[in-house]
Amino acid sequence: MASAMCAARAQLETATHNLANVSSDGYRRAASHLRLSANGLVTTETREFEQGAIRHTGRSLDLALLGPGGFHVGSGVTRNGAFVSDRNGWLTDDRGRRVLGTRGPIAVDAQTTIGSDGEVKSGSHSVNRIPLPPGTRLQTGALEASNVNAIGETLEILTAQRAFETAQKVLVAIDEVRQKAVNDVVRLK
Amino acid sequence: MYAAASGMAAQQTNLEIIADNLANADVAGFKGAAASFTDVNAGGTLGLGTAALGRHPLFEQGKLMKSGGPFDLAIDGAGFFRIEKDGATAYTRAGEFSRAADGSLQNADGWRLHGVRIPADAISASVDRAGRVLIDSATAKGHAVARIGLVTFNAPEGLRALGGTLFVATAVSGPPHAFAPREGRSSIAFGMLEKSNVSIVESMMQILTAQRAYEANAKGVQAADEMLRIANNLHRS
Repeated sequence: MASAMCAARAQLETATHNLANVSSDGYRRAASHLRLSANGLVTTETREFEQGAIRHTGRSLDLALLGPGGFHVGSGVTRNGAFVSDRNGWLTDDRGRRVLGTRGPIAVDAQTTIGSDGEVKSGSHSVNRIPLPPGTRLQTGALEASNVNAIGETLEILTAQRAFETAQKVLVAIDEVRQKAVNDVVRLK
Repeated sequence: MYAAASGMAAQQTNLEIIADNLANADVAGFKGAAASFTDVNAGGTLGLGTAALGRHPLFEQGKLMKSGGPFDLAIDGAGFFRIEKDGATAYTRAGEFSRAADGSLQNADGWRLHGVRIPADAISASVDRAGRVLIDSATAKGHAVARIGLVTFNAPEGLRALGGTLFVATAVSGPPHAFAPREGRSSIAFGMLEKSNVSIVESMMQILTAQRAYEANAKGVQAADEMLRIANNLHRS
């Protein structure tokens, strides 16, 4: 029963973490899964990769991925396409990491356009390409919002809270049974 | 509990920025700002909530409107006016200037437009789309005396905002690059002002969303608190 209480706590933590990131562009919600094992309930976490809503921003360097995949920035991968040009003219994400194309870091200027197939053009000639998995397209001037659904997460929180209460009640009941057993045994003597 | 609290703090930051945008929705040349957030992970484990990455000015073009000011200028396209006061340099898109006694163009706070002097004998002056300052005097008509230059930055999002409409260069934005305005690309509109680029409808919508997100996160804190209370009561029975 103690493991059920721990599991409910872990569920609550996942839900509150998701809720906290309801405004983080490109964020992917985490889902907790319960599994019964020899040691009681065990929680595992996975990422939910369904598409987030596309929010129009009008800024030409904002990119939203339509489909699976991610942008390679420095050594990491992100789905947050809120990119800007840095002081040296390189396309960077909002933490200052350079976005990598098939031909290395991407240089941008006032004439740069990025196509829905990831092709980076300066004027009319192609200079670089943002690698995309087959079937994925880019939308420029838009961002992908967090795929967290506030209502769903609030429900998760309530469910976790009730599960926690139930586990506590059962734990108390077990305790009472044992107490009775101990007292009755004493009285029988 | 801390993840939910970080979500509340993030929405608070969000609301402050939206409120600031709304407060300046009527200020000519004002540029709205936005906050961006990211999730916080420690070594791959979840549950640390969110953090603000910072506040970025948004430089989309505001609508140009006809104005009654004596020397109003608006930029139709990218770029900034370079203005100076007491040896300091700043950049702005608010072009509410008037002719000062010394012939310079000044805004209400005494900032002077860089490189423009209007001779004392000018009867009237105007500016064409390419930024040339043309004057009519007793002897000549349509005589160009100066050209207004504009500047651009590699990373304008890195500019630091000095109050409502002034910006200064930083290490992040990089140094300014001067260029001459011309028709078709960043031209000057004389007798016009650029309205703020804040959309009131959009801001109101953002406020509603932020408010609801704040409430949902508060629920998370409440639930965590309630669980701790229940756990503490285990001992009593």
